[in-house]
Parts: sequence; C-alpha cells; structure tokens
Amino acid sequence: MSESAEIDTALLQADFDAQLARPVSNTLFHVGAAIVALSLLLMVIGPWLTPYDIGRPSDEIMQPPPSLSQVPGLVRQMLAGAPHPAIHWLGTDSAGLDVFSRVLAAPRADVSIAVGANLFSLLVGSLLGLFAGTARPWVGGLTMRISDLVQAFPVFITGMILVTLAGRSNGTIVVTLALLYTPIYIRLTRSEVLTQRHRGFVDAARVLGKSEGWIALHHVLPNALAPAMIQASVTIGFAILMTAGLSFVGAGVRPPTPEWGLMIAAGADGIVQGEWWPSVFPGIAISITVFGYAAFGNGLERRHAR
Amino acid sequence: MLAFVGRRLLTAAIQLVALALIVFFAIRLLPADPVARLAGQDASRESYLSSQHALGLDRPVMVQFGAYIGVLPGSSGLLEGDFGRSWVTGDPISQEIRRTLPITLELITISFVLAFVISVPLGMICALRPGGIADRMTFGYSLFAGSQPEFWWGLLFIFFFFSVLGWAPPPLGRLNPMVTPPPVVTGFITIDSLLAGDGEALWDGLHHLMLPVATKVFVLSGPIVKMVRQNMTRVMTSDYVLYQQASGISPGRIALTALKNALAPTLTLLGILYGYILGGAVLIETVFSLGGIGQYAVSAVLAFDYPAIQAVVLVIAAISLFVYLALDVAHAMLDPRLQG
Repeated sequence: MSESAEIDTALLQADFDAQLARPVSNTLFHVGAAIVALSLLLMVIGPWLTPYDIGRPSDEIMQPPPSLSQVPGLVRQMLAGAPHPAIHWLGTDSAGLDVFSRVLAAPRADVSIAVGANLFSLLVGSLLGLFAGTARPWVGGLTMRISDLVQAFPVFITGMILVTLAGRSNGTIVVTLALLYTPIYIRLTRSEVLTQRHRGFVDAARVLGKSEGWIALHHVLPNALAPAMIQASVTIGFAILMTAGLSFVGAGVRPPTPEWGLMIAAGADGIVQGEWWPSVFPGIAISITVFGYAAFGNGLERRHAR
Repeated sequence: MLAFVGRRLLTAAIQLVALALIVFFAIRLLPADPVARLAGQDASRESYLSSQHALGLDRPVMVQFGAYIGVLPGSSGLLEGDFGRSWVTGDPISQEIRRTLPITLELITISFVLAFVISVPLGMICALRPGGIADRMTFGYSLFAGSQPEFWWGLLFIFFFFSVLGWAPPPLGRLNPMVTPPPVVTGFITIDSLLAGDGEALWDGLHHLMLPVATKVFVLSGPIVKMVRQNMTRVMTSDYVLYQQASGISPGRIALTALKNALAPTLTLLGILYGYILGGAVLIETVFSLGGIGQYAVSAVLAFDYPAIQAVVLVIAAISLFVYLALDVAHAMLDPRLQG
C-alpha cells in the first residue's frame, strides 16, 4: 500500500470511529477503568491480602465453597468474633490450598507479566515506528517488512516454542510476549507519524529551523503516542489471556506459583466429576479482568476520537 | 488482476522461505538442550553422545540445515516437501500432520462459518439503528465475547452439558471409541462419513464437535460482530446511501446493497482472524482432547522435537498466508479499486 493510501485509511478510521462514538454509553468505560485499577492494585498488594498461606497445603482437600444459604450465618459468626471453623469462601483445591487466596495472589504473576510485556513493546515499538515513519522510504519499508514477517508467525505456537525452549520463567514470558506484540506498536505509531508529519505545528517547527530528529521526538512522537497507549490497554488484556493460556498447556508460568491459567489446568480434571470450584473461580477472574481492559481501551478510543 | 495475484503470491512465498530460515536457526539459538531432554537428564556421557549422533546434532549447523532443506546427497528434505522424522517417535512428520491437520481445519472452518452466519445479522441490526438498545446490547456482548479465555469456557460447557446435564459426550476425543471411524479419504470426519454413507459416525462426530464448536463460535462472534458493525455503519453514512434514501428507495433494499459493500472489507479482516485462530486452536483442542495439529504442537514443543516444531510452524503459517491471500483476492474482486 502506498503511503498516502495508508494515511487516507487512518483518517477514514478516525472519522468513522468518531461517528460510532456518540451513542454508546459511558458506563462500560467506568466499569472498565475500575477493573483495571483493581487489577493493578492486586498486582502490587494481592499476595499480602490472602487470608490463608498460598503455598502451604492443608488437609482440607477439595472442600466445596459454602452454599449461598450458609453465607449469612458465617458472616454473622465472623463479625461477632464467635469461634467458627476455617472458612474457605471459594473452596479448596486438590492440594488443600485456599482457592480465594490464590485467586487474589495471581495478579502478581498474570498482570505484571502482561503489563511488563506491553511497556516493553510499547517503548521499542513506538521508537521503531517513529523511525520507520521518518527515515528514508526504503529504510522504513524494510522495517515494515521485518515487522510483517514477525506477524506471520502463529502467535500462540510461537509463544509456546520461545518460552519453553528459552526456559520457562516469568522473565522469558515477558520478553516473548514483548517480541510478539512489538509489530502492533510499530505499525500503529508509523501510520500515526505519517499523518502527523505534515500537520501545521510540525511545519512551523521546521520553519523555526529545528532539525528533523528533534521534531520527530518533540512534536511528532508525543502526538502519535495516544493510539499506542489506547492499544496497550486492549493488548494487556490479550497478554493476560495468553499468559494464562500458555500456563494452561504447560508452557508458561511454573507451578506452584499462584497463576490463573495454572489453577484452571489443575482443576480441569475435577470438572468432569462435578468439582467445579478450583477451575471456575480463577476463570471468572480472567474473564472479568480481560473484559475490563477491553472496555477501558474501547472507552479511551472513543474519548480520543472525540 | 493476474498481476495482483502474482505479486501477492510472490510476497507470500518469500515470507515462507524467510519463516523456514528463522524457525530453523532461532530454535537452535535458544538455550535448550534437546539431547539431554531425549537421552534423559542423568544419561551417561556415552549415551548422550550417541543420541547426539543419532539426531545428527553433532554436525555443524550449516550441514544440519542442508540436510533439513534437502540439498545434501542421498537425503530428501523440505524442498521435496519432506519434513523429516520425529525425534521422539521416529515416524515421518508429514504423516502426523496429514492425520492431525484436518481435525483442526474441520473444527475451525465449521466454527468460522457458523460464527459468521450468526454475526452478520447481529452487526447489521447494530448499524441500522446506531445507539439503539439493540446496538448497545450487541456491542457490550461483542466486547465481552471477544475478551474471554476460551479454554475456560470450554471447561464450563463441559461442566454444564456433560457433567450436569449429560447432553454432550465426554471430552475425550473426536469420536466415541466404540464407533468405527469412516475410511480416511480427506481426514475430515464429517466429510469422510458422508462419503462412506456412515450415518452413525457422522452423528457421533458432530456430537463430539458440539461443545468445541459452541465455545469457538462464542469467542469468535465477538470480533466478527465488531467488524461487521463498523463496516456497516461506515457504509450507512456514505453519500450513496444518503442518495438512495433521498430517492425513496425502501430501507430493506438499501440495506441489501449496503451489506455487499460492508462485507467486502471484512473479508480481509476475516483472513487475518482465520490464521490467528488456526494457531490458537491449541487451547480448545487440549480441553477436548481432539488430537488436532494444535495438540501435536504442544507435545512437540514440550518434548523438544525440533523437526516437528519446524514443520508445525511452517504448515500453520503457510495455511494462514494462503487463506489470507485467497480472501484478499476475493476482496479485490468485489472492490476493483484495490487492484491498482
């Protein structure tokens, strides 16, 4: 695609996004923002909030969560400080670990990996995108072809291969995801740079005699970053899905780290026998969290388009 | 048109060659030791060396690469379409892929078609009255469905439809072990059982596909609804639709012409999506033990079976590129402006 056609598409995109923007309510955006904030908070303090030790097995194996009718009674007992048996609000798993505690502690792995990978690829990708958008056309073209090539790899399988062969650790997962997501940011920043490069304030800086590199860093990049940041919100959600998925098939975080995908995998066999709680609760956590990031990103996009 | 297709084919071919090179060298650069993995961690020095020799890993990397692409005398390789033999089972990898790939393609294609058929009317309803209650609900749904952990939904479906209700078969494969599989013609159970006129296998195969397809359709409908909605909204605000409205043409007829123009750009996006979920079929296959190429990839990766890993990446990338190309060409045929 020629450069000008790409600019046209980008403008068209912004235009009809703005038209879609009006009607849909703001509720989703606020719900999403709250979920994102909560997930980041739990990433930092989650492991310190757990009512039970997340690593020490107990003999209370595969205890179901209390039924809904028992909950008011248990709450009353707790508030009154009356002696009561150990309560596992979300049950225990096959090792006797408290599911609620582990669900709370898991963002330390899932969210920090996803956020780390995206910060990494946002930084590298936007700089490369700026480079591809301002360098000589053939250099820019070459950068784009390389990023096309990275994107031609099947994402999930490549993730499995890189993480497993490089040695499963949180660090390798971060680097792998960062590598796989960088082309998204390159593409986004470059197309934004191409539309910004000939705006009035950029030409004004040129007239003032600023160098092209200075203009790129001070005028073009800051204005081109907004779409990349919006994209980051959505991609962090996908990175959480990917981290949990990799762990689920045994190619991600190592057990016994509390991590949502690992917890779902550990409980998967029980599901067939009706023991649903060890898998269902971490899944609800993923479902809500990723939806939150998607809703937040979508809301940001609409605000930006306005 | 021919020049357009030719140019795209050439790009795809170059990409595949580059992929083959990168995969081969990248996995050898990573700090993994397949010999230790296959010979066992506490193997003696002799047995380590003999496994290393048996795998051909004692040769220089460039010689290994020559053997892989098949330019060394006396061995066939990638250039003849030979992926080599698995380091773990010793079987030819092409055979394994021919067995597992149709299972994945069948699952994904059926899910894709169903998701599309469901999503198009939903996206249209949104676009016909933007901001209406139906639009908001569908939009919320597509945002939600598009951000879900599919492996978890698969397990949830198993819990409700197998453990609780007993409607679905156990998640243990593509067919009930008591049912004789139809003779293999295409590898697609649905097609093979139809060709053999085997009603029992057809029914059992579809029964086993029910939950995995339902899971996939749910997750896929999110992004597809979003695409149709965006494209349809864009078309509905265009000048020619305004002109049609001004000319008093009925809304139904306008919607029909608009649909054609709205679907053309979605084709390209669908092509990208197809490749994406082909690579992502790993999770759903694991949950339902379907034995497709995704599950084959997992076992190859966890066993450090390099020839199998190389083959899986190439095959999946090749199919993704091909589908993407085919849909892109279809898009160009519907919209001649793109052929320039």
